[in-house]
Amino acid sequence: MTAAALPARQDDDARASFLSAGTLVGPATVFVAAGLLVPLAILFRYSLNRFEPRRMMVDAFTFENYVKFFSDPYYTGIFWTTLRVAALCTVACVVLGLPLAYALARTQTRFKNILIVLVVLPLFVGNAVRAAGWMTLLGSKGFLNVTLEKLGLIDEPLQMMFTEGAVIAGIIAVNLPYMVLTLQSVIEGIQRQLEEAAFSLGANPYEMTKRVLLPLALPGLLAGTILTFILGMNAYATPVLLGGPKFKMMGPLVFGQFQLNNWPFGATTAFVLMAATLALTATANILVQRRYRR
Amino acid sequence: MARLQIDRVTKSYGELKAVDDATLDVANGEFLVLLGPSGCGKTTTLRMVAGFVEPTSGTIRLDGNDVTTLPPWKRNAGLVFQSYALFPHLTVNQNVAFGLEMRKVPAADMPKKVAEALRLVRLDHLGERLPRQLSGGQQQRVALARALVFHPDILLLDEPLSNLDAKLRQDVRVEIRELQRKLGLTTVMVTHDQEEALTMADRLVVMSEGRIRQVGTQHDLYERPADRFVADFVGRSNFIEGRIEAPGKFVSKGGLAIACADGPPGSAVLALRPERVAIVGSGEPADNRFEGRVEFLSYLGAAIDLHVRLSPAERLIVQLPNRPESAAPKIGDAVTLAWSRTTARIFHD
Repeated sequence: MTAAALPARQDDDARASFLSAGTLVGPATVFVAAGLLVPLAILFRYSLNRFEPRRMMVDAFTFENYVKFFSDPYYTGIFWTTLRVAALCTVACVVLGLPLAYALARTQTRFKNILIVLVVLPLFVGNAVRAAGWMTLLGSKGFLNVTLEKLGLIDEPLQMMFTEGAVIAGIIAVNLPYMVLTLQSVIEGIQRQLEEAAFSLGANPYEMTKRVLLPLALPGLLAGTILTFILGMNAYATPVLLGGPKFKMMGPLVFGQFQLNNWPFGATTAFVLMAATLALTATANILVQRRYRR
Repeated sequence: MARLQIDRVTKSYGELKAVDDATLDVANGEFLVLLGPSGCGKTTTLRMVAGFVEPTSGTIRLDGNDVTTLPPWKRNAGLVFQSYALFPHLTVNQNVAFGLEMRKVPAADMPKKVAEALRLVRLDHLGERLPRQLSGGQQQRVALARALVFHPDILLLDEPLSNLDAKLRQDVRVEIRELQRKLGLTTVMVTHDQEEALTMADRLVVMSEGRIRQVGTQHDLYERPADRFVADFVGRSNFIEGRIEAPGKFVSKGGLAIACADGPPGSAVLALRPERVAIVGSGEPADNRFEGRVEFLSYLGAAIDLHVRLSPAERLIVQLPNRPESAAPKIGDAVTLAWSRTTARIFHD
């Protein structure tokens, strides 16, 4: 091969690898761009429009929808409820999911695959069916109330359906598998001998978890937390079905506005929800990584 | 530094006895090596001493105290793993300091002790690195420093050299041994590599199928193996099956009449080290002389292995030192093998 031929050959190689990278990344990128970014841009534009009851959406360039959202205690109340529910669900998923994921990752049993399917089982059930299940459990004539009454512990049925508690329980049940699966795969990648090394150096199980297991499981913990938080913030079916008509979260609010044909305000609430979710996720990510990057 | 006593320890997993009635006494400052093929129970024994596995029965005493059921973090044992198990998210300094932190050593004393331990393994200049930025040999030394820094009562080494390349392994053997002598540390090492075991140990324990087959010095194991397994596993042996017909007279399956040490009559196995068999001229007297033909030859550098057919049933490996002044036989040559009656060991089945 001559010296002159070499650069040309390298160019070809570079073009070939660029092409193959392009073919790999391309379809997904186009799909996401067309299916998500473009509608988002349009929606954002809508959120700056004005709504007039008779003429529906009127072209404008104003932030008054955002002002309306943040100055009305009704909407800010819904916003805070959503944040609170999502945060509580996420914390509960971490607390419940970590031991479960650890046990699942470290078990030697040959039934491991069955155990994993059991963890995912709640996701096999559709939202409406799951809500029906919660109703038979929590309703005023439901399993819990009847049992407690029969035992003589209560005289009146407890109001458990259509409460924030019911919604939180419902969301945890859906989100927990995501947390467990994410954590489990990360913990499985942590050498068992690292735990033993910590023990042999004098760390008890608590110190081992704090100093070795958690820092090493951090990527999975972050991913799981982000996933469950996003799912919690955007929950729709569970708050509607288990929270009832009086309980409001952002997801149902967004949809409700579009149903009322108020596209500008619907777009506004959608953007507030998305921005808050993104901002909180990013902040948590940065804080946690700074804490453990030493 | 302490004495380790393992007293009639058994570990069963269901029907399987991973360790079967093991008794060992490791003196203060002694370097004991557990040697055996994989699955022989040596690692389980070490893990019981470390506290990761609880014995089914028996007691383990460290410095006279019963530690049989004590969790690992309450035993003062330094452990070096085959994979080194350095914490990947901590620097070398932080790895070494871990054991000190767990022992609540004041933060002010920590840097000095860490630096001291790293100097011991000649790595004090790499304290700020992460484990993945080190070579295998360096990681191994960090693991050693981490296990030594808190002055453990006992040092436990689980195949510490098997992930190093052959050349480095020889250096590290000497290094670990010198360090252990200098610190006077009671040490138990597990290995399947007999050469490693022989170079490092004060005493060796040969295990197989959960049982201790023999405990002794290198010389004991090599010159007086307790059974056929030890004779085969430590060094090499030719085994000749046959019977002792009369005191001092062994007749092989192939019909060779071999003069040997006295023993009770009955079926037996005769074990012969390849380097203890000589090739002699036709006139030289010897207790045992046998004619044979060279069937195979391996040139090993320092030595030459000859595979010599003595009878249809018997083929012996003979190891000759490779000397330029004496021409080695070639394949197909007729040779005369000789050995004295006390050279061979007799094992009864």
